[in-house]
Amino acid sequence: MNLDWLDAFLIFGAFKVVEIMGLGLLVHLQLGLTRVANFGVVGFWGVGLYAFGVAYLKVDWPFGDVYQFLVCAAIATIVAAAAGLVVGWLISDLDDDGTLVGTLGFATIVVILATTQQGLTGGALGLGGLDFPYDFGRVKTHEFTWLLITTAVVALIFAYAWRVYRTPHGRLLIAVGSNEALARSLGKSATAARLRMMMVTSGAMGLLGAMHGVMVRSLEINSLDVSVTLAALAALILGGTARVFGAVVGVLLTVALFDIVIQFYIPIPDGWNTQALPVAREAVFGAAIVLMLIFRPQGLLGQMRRPALMRRLHGDW
Amino acid sequence: MTGEDLRPQILVRDVTKSFSGRVVVDIDELVLGDVPVEGLLGPNGAGKTTLMRLIMHSIPLDGGTVTLSRPGQRDVLLSSTRTNQMAGLGVVKSTQVITDFEHLTILDSALLAVTEARYERPFSAAADRTVRKRHEDEIRHWLDYFGFDDPLAVALSGGDKKLLDIVRCLLLQPAVLLLDEPTAGLSEGHTERVKAAVRELASRGTSVVIVEHDLDVIWDLCDEVIFMAEGKVLLKDNPATIRANPTVVKSYLGAGSA
Ligand SMILES: Nc1ncnc2c1ncn2[C@@H]1O[C@H](COP(=O)(O)OP(=O)(O)OP(=O)(O)O)[C@@H](O)[C@H]1O
Ligand SMILES: [Mg+2]
Repeated sequence: MNLDWLDAFLIFGAFKVVEIMGLGLLVHLQLGLTRVANFGVVGFWGVGLYAFGVAYLKVDWPFGDVYQFLVCAAIATIVAAAAGLVVGWLISDLDDDGTLVGTLGFATIVVILATTQQGLTGGALGLGGLDFPYDFGRVKTHEFTWLLITTAVVALIFAYAWRVYRTPHGRLLIAVGSNEALARSLGKSATAARLRMMMVTSGAMGLLGAMHGVMVRSLEINSLDVSVTLAALAALILGGTARVFGAVVGVLLTVALFDIVIQFYIPIPDGWNTQALPVAREAVFGAAIVLMLIFRPQGLLGQMRRPALMRRLHGDW
Repeated sequence: MTGEDLRPQILVRDVTKSFSGRVVVDIDELVLGDVPVEGLLGPNGAGKTTLMRLIMHSIPLDGGTVTLSRPGQRDVLLSSTRTNQMAGLGVVKSTQVITDFEHLTILDSALLAVTEARYERPFSAAADRTVRKRHEDEIRHWLDYFGFDDPLAVALSGGDKKLLDIVRCLLLQPAVLLLDEPTAGLSEGHTERVKAAVRELASRGTSVVIVEHDLDVIWDLCDEVIFMAEGKVLLKDNPATIRANPTVVKSYLGAGSA
């Protein structure tokens, strides 16, 4: 594959877009559907990243590349899903404020653990040595291939979210999110529904963390920064929390705009890329969330359109 | 066999509930369900809704027990059962305050009520239509019965939401049905439909308890009436006797309304 035309940074920019889109879709299922406000997205993603890295580097696996990746990614997914279960259970009786503090606190705990467990994680220095589960010769080809694989994973996440709306599971989540007491009176265990949803979505966040680890090929404390949560939330809130396409549209307007369009296609002075831009990006994302919440809390795509979907599913009623 | 002993019953014993120090419900012993349809009367603030919520265990009891007994099955202590398990036991309540699921359509609500838990898991392969097929007849029956002509829309009016609440309850096929002012705000036509549905349900073995300020509904429907005031059950008798009781007339019905 001749990829000379492709800038290596562009591959990373696109990877970030795809990754945040995946996280945004998962946050959509939590916040848009079930109304669980998870401010610790980076924690679940980070648990996956670190579980993957530690399993990959610290265990002497008797098999190579592909299997090693698959097993370690499965471990990452399971650990993150377990974290989702535990955090979901801890916050199950809390109100929105409690959920905010609880999930934020969880993300902080993940950072603290990753920093202090130096023997496992390399602490603040980090650890290198992760690698792609294949070898075609050129790094750029590897990265590009990984971008495609990650895109496929995110496409699956999209398909899952899209399908959830068309199943009894999705209806239950909407019901639990919008009127828990009424759902309970219909015999629904709101807690079980929420925990299952948290397990699935957190597990997928962990998988995305593992995918990230492969792409950057190292564990770095800095990657556990709140900007991951912020990017996913900003995108989703901008696009529309209650729409599957909200995360997609939102990410294109935020991460894609900043990390691809502005970085590559707008002439900006040297040095800005590393200094001013990241700061401006956080500020703009933060401002976007605030402005949207004030002026159009339902996001660009607007409210859930249940009647239209029901007409498509049960038009013959 | 009169069938009276074969009805599902609820036994309320020594149940108390206070809100910020004020006793709102204080009942020594009350059996619900020894007749098909029971009315629960009492002035505003008498504790009727609170009693129903205590039975559903949607608010915690300060003391006492609530027991469900169903013919041929073991008694269940409702006061230590979770709210979301009540429907499975056949104990169902409509709400006095209008309530609905934001965003969900009328058909959604109906489907939600009938869907078995196994279809509601994250990776359940069942499509929505599978569930619909299993329960289509009953849903269609009740939606048509109450005249919902566009079930694929969201219920907008208070009346529609109120009726939808009742439809959800009916779809759960209750053994004991607690109705908290089911006809408040409904048209005369819909009120008659609700009454007919209650009669039909009761004739098939459901024990119905109904709180209603529209006294015509009570006199029309109930086989027995309980009169509550200030959290206590003062009287339990046949409608005619209750209707003539001076305490009831004075404290509740007011001059001329009986
Ligand atoms: N959650 C609560 N917190 C505080 N007080 C409450 C609460 N719920 C009910 N009360 C009080 O308890 C008393 C009984 O209320 P309840 O709703 O049971 O009365 P009710 O008989 O259903 O009246 P109505 O006919 O008006 O519906 C009222 O004085 C009410 O203000
Ligand atoms: Mg009441």
